[in-house]
Amino acid sequence: MALSQANVFSQLSWQEIKIVEHAIHIRNYAPREPIFKQGDPGSGMYIIIEGRVGIFLDIPNQEPKMLSELSEGDFFGEIALLDESPRTAAATAVENCIIIGFYRPDLMEILKTKPVLGSKILLALSEVLAIRLRSTNNELVKVSRVLEDKVVSPENE
Amino acid sequence: MSSQKSVQIASNSVRFFHQSLFKTLVYFTLLILILLGSYRAFPLVQDALFFLIIASILTVILNPLVDWMESSGIRRMYGALLVFGGIFTLIGTGVVKGIPALLNEVGRIKDVIQQNSATDSLDSLINNINSRIAQYIPNFKLDMDIISDLSAQFFGQLGSILAGALDTFTTIIFILIITMFFLVDGQRMMKRLIETVPNRYFEMSLNINYRTKQQLTNFLRGQLLAALGVAIQSIIGLHLLNWIFDANISGVFLIGSIAGLANMIPFVGPFMGMIPAIIVSLFNNLGDPIAAASFYYILHIVIMFFIVQMIDNNVISPIVVSGSMEMHPLTVILLILIGSQIGVLAMFLAVPGWGISKVVIQEVYQGLKGHRLI
Repeated sequence: MALSQANVFSQLSWQEIKIVEHAIHIRNYAPREPIFKQGDPGSGMYIIIEGRVGIFLDIPNQEPKMLSELSEGDFFGEIALLDESPRTAAATAVENCIIIGFYRPDLMEILKTKPVLGSKILLALSEVLAIRLRSTNNELVKVSRVLEDKVVSPENE
Repeated sequence: MSSQKSVQIASNSVRFFHQSLFKTLVYFTLLILILLGSYRAFPLVQDALFFLIIASILTVILNPLVDWMESSGIRRMYGALLVFGGIFTLIGTGVVKGIPALLNEVGRIKDVIQQNSATDSLDSLINNINSRIAQYIPNFKLDMDIISDLSAQFFGQLGSILAGALDTFTTIIFILIITMFFLVDGQRMMKRLIETVPNRYFEMSLNINYRTKQQLTNFLRGQLLAALGVAIQSIIGLHLLNWIFDANISGVFLIGSIAGLANMIPFVGPFMGMIPAIIVSLFNNLGDPIAAASFYYILHIVIMFFIVQMIDNNVISPIVVSGSMEMHPLTVILLILIGSQIGVLAMFLAVPGWGISKVVIQEVYQGLKGHRLI
């Protein structure tokens, strides 16, 4: 999977992709090996090159609940590039995985030495966040409409 | 009510003192264990380790400059070459002009001290000081031999350090070559090293490395800028004393540089900085009645260094030094005592060295705690 397929890097030229390639880390994970745990300080994003990754939510006194399963080309944890707050869910390899890791220190280093490239990555990250925010707003509007209908309908009946 | 409050404040203070003392002892034990372990385990690689440590510190100091050049479009290799061109020019100028001049200055002061120790004027000065102090402290006696020995020893050691620096010119070149490699390829080397870390500790190691590097850069840059500030102010101040009061203090650049370096040691550094100025003023002005009337300008020198400290503490340090250098006075005293057992240079380097170790230990501790590994 080419690095440029990830939307954070999709706007970059091939020379810029080459620079990012020097900054990223390629890691191998065995089945059921944790990539990060819920509550760990977030420090970067991951792009799956090969294999499947499960995103789990830890619930006290219960088995962890699988929220989604990601596969080749999918990416996760990109908000941690901007924010060091703890991970809200855990990521675990479902099978043998090869994963690209791009971390906050790598982004900071690029921002320091290649500010134009760093700004492009930050802009792409902002676009990802803007799309997510818009989608969350739409979901919120839908939910509030359903709630309004539920509140209004008993009076009509 | 208020007595309860004051008791609570007092017990909090005692608890804080104990916690702080405990932390200091834990840090100290850790450092001594690391040092002893390294010394015992790697006797054959001691020199190489020393080169690597010095080169790493130089890399941390010079890296921002090379980064800045790279961000301006200059390739990293050329940026590092430019920085090194500048350093070699400075060293070349220093070797050709600076070090012989400094050696002359140190030798001259040493000679003055040794010559004057045999003169009557010094005897009369000591007697004068003894009689004045005896009014307040009975049985106090300042021994002339002790003063002359201590002063000659201080400047003699300084001379041997500078002369040793000339002898180890090849070592400096060797360290600079390693620094050059670190500056150009350090990032890739560190990446290769961190990639060997198991997945479980990978993110944490990457973060610790990044934060430690950032903290060290801030710490070292701050310390060097503050030292440079104090050195420049002291040189200007001493020149002003010579100009306004005709204080006849020689070796102003050397004394200013010592004051700048000594300033890296909290609490006692400023006093250490003014001692050479007082010694030089005393010996240069022996037999001069005007200087004797002004008590050999000791008060002038103390006031001048006090003003320098005021400017440094209130203007320069708050801007350039990061807050991570806060140390318990007990730590400083212990470090200076341990350093003094090794030599003058170790005494100067003990506190900044401890500051660096503290930053590394703190970042490793925070990283391990954040990932719930301790």
